[in-house]
Amino acid sequence: MKEDGRFKTNIPWLIFLTAIIVLPIIVRSNYIVSVMFFVAIYGMLSIGMGLLMGQAGLFSLAHPTWFGLGAYIPGILSARGIIPPLPGIFVGAICVALIAYIVGAPVLRLRGFYLACATFAIILIAQVVAAQLTNLTGGPEGLVGIPALSLGGFVFKTDLHFYYLSWAFCLGCYWFCSNLINSRIGCAMKSFHDSEVASQSIGVNVAKYKLQIFILTAVMASFAGSIFCFYLRFAVPDSFGFPLLVELLMMIIIGGVGHLRGPLTGTFVVLWLTELIHGYLGKIFPVMTNEVDAIFFGILIIIVLIFMPRGLTGWIDQLINLGRKLYDRFRGSTT
Amino acid sequence: MIASGDPRHKSGQSSSKVGVGSSLFEVIQLEKSFGGIRALCGVSLRLEKEGIVSIIGPNGAGKTTFINVTTGMYFPDEGDVYFQGQNITGLPAHMVAHLGISRTFQLEELFSSMTVLENAMVGCHTGSRTGMFAAGFRLRSAREEENRTRGEALENLRMVGLEHRAADDVNSLPLGERKMLGIARSLGVKPNLIMLDEPASGLAAHEIAKLGDLVQKLVENRLAVIIVEHNMPFVMSISKRVIVLDYGRKIADGSPDDVRADPGVIKAYLGEED
Amino acid sequence: MTLLSQIIQYAISGITSGSIYAIVGICWSTVFLISGVMNFATGEFVMLGGMLTWVFFDAGLGLAYAVILAITCTVLIAILLERIVIRPVRYPTEMTYMLITIASASVIKGIILITCGSETRTVKPFIEIEPINILGATLIPQAIVVTGVLVIVTLGLLWFFNYTLFGKALRASSINQIAASLIGVDVSKFRLFCFGLAGALGALAGIVITPIAFTGYNITPIAFTGYNIGLMAALKGLVVAIVGGWSIGGTVLAGLALGLVEGFVAGFISTGWKDALALSIMVLFLIFQTIDFSRRRRKIFP
Repeated sequence: MKEDGRFKTNIPWLIFLTAIIVLPIIVRSNYIVSVMFFVAIYGMLSIGMGLLMGQAGLFSLAHPTWFGLGAYIPGILSARGIIPPLPGIFVGAICVALIAYIVGAPVLRLRGFYLACATFAIILIAQVVAAQLTNLTGGPEGLVGIPALSLGGFVFKTDLHFYYLSWAFCLGCYWFCSNLINSRIGCAMKSFHDSEVASQSIGVNVAKYKLQIFILTAVMASFAGSIFCFYLRFAVPDSFGFPLLVELLMMIIIGGVGHLRGPLTGTFVVLWLTELIHGYLGKIFPVMTNEVDAIFFGILIIIVLIFMPRGLTGWIDQLINLGRKLYDRFRGSTT
Repeated sequence: MIASGDPRHKSGQSSSKVGVGSSLFEVIQLEKSFGGIRALCGVSLRLEKEGIVSIIGPNGAGKTTFINVTTGMYFPDEGDVYFQGQNITGLPAHMVAHLGISRTFQLEELFSSMTVLENAMVGCHTGSRTGMFAAGFRLRSAREEENRTRGEALENLRMVGLEHRAADDVNSLPLGERKMLGIARSLGVKPNLIMLDEPASGLAAHEIAKLGDLVQKLVENRLAVIIVEHNMPFVMSISKRVIVLDYGRKIADGSPDDVRADPGVIKAYLGEED
Repeated sequence: MTLLSQIIQYAISGITSGSIYAIVGICWSTVFLISGVMNFATGEFVMLGGMLTWVFFDAGLGLAYAVILAITCTVLIAILLERIVIRPVRYPTEMTYMLITIASASVIKGIILITCGSETRTVKPFIEIEPINILGATLIPQAIVVTGVLVIVTLGLLWFFNYTLFGKALRASSINQIAASLIGVDVSKFRLFCFGLAGALGALAGIVITPIAFTGYNITPIAFTGYNIGLMAALKGLVVAIVGGWSIGGTVLAGLALGLVEGFVAGFISTGWKDALALSIMVLFLIFQTIDFSRRRRKIFP
């Protein structure tokens, strides 16, 4: 609800958009492009989670499950030749929305910590289900035989194709969510985060908006999962579990949830740090699994939570404010 | 325009539900207990039309519970609440707000992460329709509605004299202005009945005077106002009708002078003479 | 095996694992009630107890020394966790605590993975007698140890919280921290103590399961120890703590009940679904609690 500054807000947007489009043309490195692809995929997840936690104050941790469902549903449908990949993505999103509705309606009645516990349990339950329904999902060994994603005659093959596809989705989600935050629905969301009784007293249907936002973010995660699945042409239950959740929490905490750019920044920082750590420490430690990453990132989370509770973006905002104040004082003293 | 008194009874008004007379607001034998404590026992109240009614009583008399139950925050154990002829007992709070009853809070309950204007704009929530998709894709309708809402919110802020602080952070407001903002926010609902929960507590004399003027202005806009208050001089000066609650019971109902002379009221406030 | 002996067998393993769940549940509830911290590192205490015992045992110490050292180390780690990680949080909310303990848990887990490897470990049983045969079911001696530890822990804690001054003060501060601090109770010291206690109990739970080996008839779900047992142990403990209503008695009952249900499900249906079962019970329980029966007109689906 800004006092119309369309030009002001659009310039950083344009710069960012150009950077994303131009990046693969300039760098021409498959490695960088593929990491940036993952930034977009995880970005969609973390934006959704940041929206839930930061704006609506809902500590729902079920995102890995929506991601996994988004991967499995189109994966299974296309591997069996029922629905081709591209429509499968949207069918998957619709299914995820339905499941999120059925799960969310009762679960969102829980508050705070209990909501976190219940959604956390949902992740593990979904993982067990995926591993147990061997006939359907391929069990713990994973789902194989997923065909390539194609649009008309165009087949998505290289990292570059997926890079543009994922960033198109990611930026679309970002744009949608940032519009939403600045709209009446976003304000209603913030309002029930601040004071639920007051929010109800002015006619905000809190339960309805909680459910809507829950479904919206689930659908975003589902898109991310679908693209991820067609990129790898493979899906295992283990990639949608606790480690993914910790990674997402890391991105959100490190980025900060005060604004939507926080989770996206966090995703960027975390993924590139992971690459750096793997690059440098891979020589020292023989086993570089996610658990070993988790040591470094665990320490990072603890430091960020203690010293910058609002994350990197919140911290940078504070620095900028401080700088502005100092500048004003400096100017005041000279004139 | 705020509180224009236009007959904007969105839902409801279905004639089949018309129960008790044609009064604006009627509460019949309301009961509510928490554990073993009976916060309200058999309170009845009838409001014919706009005007100011004050509810007073010692601490713990059930005044705030009365507001909470009638606005749908709590569910009553017994009794019924009618608003404009419609039974609203047990409707969730947001539906009650939609029907045109709004309230303020003892501790304001402002939205602390927003600016003053945004608080007032959230107040206008019921008046707008933009859904998730329109908002997310920033369709023309959404933008137009937002501008309209901003206008309404500014109008409400002007009404309470806060338009100069529209862009400020809520946390920077002093108590008096916080109370005013609470009222401005609840005016966004375009209510027919507004319940103010201790609006004068903690205010300085000149702020109370301003509050009194505001309440008079609201009544001129054809609003019914129920004030729950501790501040006797304020209540007695402003209202034509005063209701006294004590231990969840209504012990007096009448003009300020009658109430002041009522032996039951004197007993409740000053204790029994030995 | 006859049906009867099967039932007895599953009941035995159910009670064994249920005892562990109950002890871990008590760890959760002591920390939560007194400090308000949801300590997701609880499971790591269990893991540390088991792994450190193995480390010391493997280094050539006697079993008793290894156990004592492991418990001491875990308590120290728990106390350090409270001092270094929990205490400095500047804006304490439920969620910050939860996230910070999840992070600490993954740090502990990763360090153990690097230093001790990813294999599952075991030590020799505490009492070396032959497994007992009951109507065709095998009762391994370690199961008796596990259940015995639960009984001792429960009785000890009940006595401690009800009959000692310190325990009563702890309970008082769990009801109202501010009031307790006003009458001169040092709440922050209590928090430290609770973390220490949780560390000790968690380690104990981790130690007693370490020698349980898979035999042909034994389907005890948690057996041996490894770097990754923490998460499941923590979750099962959380489930029983929530369902048990955060009280010691309730937690013990819920733990045993969950263990039995799991034992039978694993035995008669499938082992794969058993973890999902416990968690589903928790989710359903939580949802059931939110239903307000006093409302006449209620909408579940908004």
